[in-house]
Amino acid sequence: MTVTLRINGDLRSFATDPMRPLLDLLREDCLLTGAKSVCREGFCGACTVHLDGAPVPSCLVPVGLVGDREVTTIEGLGLAGEASDPLQQAFIAEDVVQCGMCFPGMVMSLGPFIAAHPGASAEEIRQAMTGNLCRCTGYERIVEAALTALGAPR
Amino acid sequence: MGAPSEGRLIRAESVEAALAASASGARFLAGGTWLMRAPVRGERLSGCFVTLSGIEGMARVEAGPDRVEIGAGVTHEALAAALSGLSGLGALRAAARGAANPGVRRLATIGGNLCAVDFAASDLAPALIALGAEAACETADGPLRLPVEEFLARRAALLPGALLRSVSVPLGPARSAHARLPLRKAGDYPVAILSLAAVIEGGAVKAARVGVGSVEPVARRWPGLEAALAGAPLDPDSAAEAARARLGDFAPRDGVEAEGWYRIEVLPALVRRAAAALLAGDAG
Ligand SMILES: Cc1cc2nc3c(=O)[nH]c(=O)nc-3n(C[C@H](O)[C@H](O)[C@H](O)COP(=O)(O)OP(=O)(O)OC[C@H]3O[C@@H](n4cnc5c(N)ncnc54)[C@H](O)[C@@H]3O)c2cc1C
Ligand code: FES
Ligand code: FES
Repeated sequence: MTVTLRINGDLRSFATDPMRPLLDLLREDCLLTGAKSVCREGFCGACTVHLDGAPVPSCLVPVGLVGDREVTTIEGLGLAGEASDPLQQAFIAEDVVQCGMCFPGMVMSLGPFIAAHPGASAEEIRQAMTGNLCRCTGYERIVEAALTALGAPR
Repeated sequence: MGAPSEGRLIRAESVEAALAASASGARFLAGGTWLMRAPVRGERLSGCFVTLSGIEGMARVEAGPDRVEIGAGVTHEALAAALSGLSGLGALRAAARGAANPGVRRLATIGGNLCAVDFAASDLAPALIALGAEAACETADGPLRLPVEEFLARRAALLPGALLRSVSVPLGPARSAHARLPLRKAGDYPVAILSLAAVIEGGAVKAARVGVGSVEPVARRWPGLEAALAGAPLDPDSAAEAARARLGDFAPRDGVEAEGWYRIEVLPALVRRAAAALLAGDAG
C-alpha cells in the first residue's frame, strides 16, 4: 500500500505496510534516527515525535493511521547548538545530557508542554515526564533545566 | 515488513461497513496502543484491520441534561478535557487523566480500553461501573445496550461480531472518586484500581456503587461493600474496615506486576483513599 506522509515539512510517499510502526519508517526509510527504538511498547518515550504538534510514542502509531497530520521529528526542530528551542538551549547550557538516549524524546515531550504551560511547577513538569524514562540523570536536572527554560526562579 | 499490502488497513465510513469488514475477518483498530504491542506480547500483527475513526460521532462527547454520551473513539486526553466542569464524574475524569502516560493518553481510546479483551487493568472500566454507565454496541442483529459491567463480562463472546459505538454515563446526585495503585509512577499498570460513587443524603450514604479493576481478570462491582456502606455516614476508616472484612469476595489474578494476594491486600487502602477524596470533593 502507498502511504503518503508529511514529515518535517516534506511530502513523501512510501510503498509499505500500513500497520508498520511510524518509528520504523522514520528510522529505516527516512534515516531520521533521532527517535530511538527502545521499549517499543509506549513505556519509555524515547521514540516520541509530534503529530500536528502533539507528542506521541511513534512505536505505537501505525503509519496508516497518520493520515494528513504533520509528522515532526527531533530533526525537524533544527540542529542542536543552533537550536532556537529554549528547552534544548537549557539542556545544553546546564550540561544535563548524559548518554543522550532519552533526550530526543524528552525534548519532543517537554517542549510543547512548557510552551503550553508557561507557569508550570516542578511537580507539573514531573507529571508531564511520566512517559519519558531516563536511566542516567535521575531526572532532577532535567526538571531544573525545564524550569530554566520557563524562566522560573528557583 | 515493508512489503506493500493492499487491503491490510481499510477505513470504515459507516457501522455497516465496519461490521461487514469484521465479518470477513478484519479486526477493529482504534488508537492502536494495544494492537501495536502484539509483538511485545509474542503475538503476530497479522491479518486485516479496519479503522473506525471515519464513523460519524465516534470521537464526540455530548453532554445532555441527564447523560453524557462518549463516542468509542474518544481518547483519554480528550475525555479528561471534555469532563472538566461536569459534577459527579470525578472518578471518570481521574481515571482518564491518571491512566498510562501523556503520550499514550493522546492515542488510546475509551473503546480500545474497554474492548482489549485480555486487558485487566483498565482505569476507565471501574470508573464507568461505579457511575452506572452503559455500553452501546452495534451487532449484526442490531443495536445492543448493556451495563458496562455486563459488557465487560460478556465481551470475549460478544466482540468478534460487535462494535462498541459509545458509552453513556448517567448524570445524577452521586459524587465519585477513583483510586489506583501503580507500583512505580512511570506509566505501568496499576495492581489494583477502585472507583467509588455515592449519593450522600442527610449525612448518610443513601446508595453506593463500587467498581474494582485489575484484581480479577475482568473489572466488576463489589456488591458486598456497596451494601455495607449504605445507611451509615461515609467515613474513610470504617469504609476501609468494611472492605477488609470482605476481601474474600475476590478471586484475584497473579500477574507480572503483583501476585493475587497483594492485589486484594491493598484494597482497603484504596477504599480509604477513594472515600477521603470523595468527601474532600476534589473528585467532583
Ligand atoms: C505503556 C502503557 C501503559 C498503559 N497504562 C494504562 C493504565 O494504567 N490504565 C489503562 O486503563 N490503560 C493503560 N494503557 C492503555 C491500554 O493498555 C490500551 O493500550 C488502550 O486502552 C487501548 O486503546 P486503543 O484505542 O489504543 O485500542 P486498540 O489497540 O486500537 O484496540 C484494542 C482492542 O480493542 C478493539 N477495539 C477497539 N475499538 C473498538 C470498538 N469501538 N469496538 C470493538 N472493538 C474495538 C481492537 O480490535 C483491539 O482488540 C497503557 C498503555 C501503554 C502503552
Ligand atoms: S520505544 Fe516507543 S515508547 Fe519506548
Ligand atoms: S541521559 Fe541516558 S537515558 Fe537519559
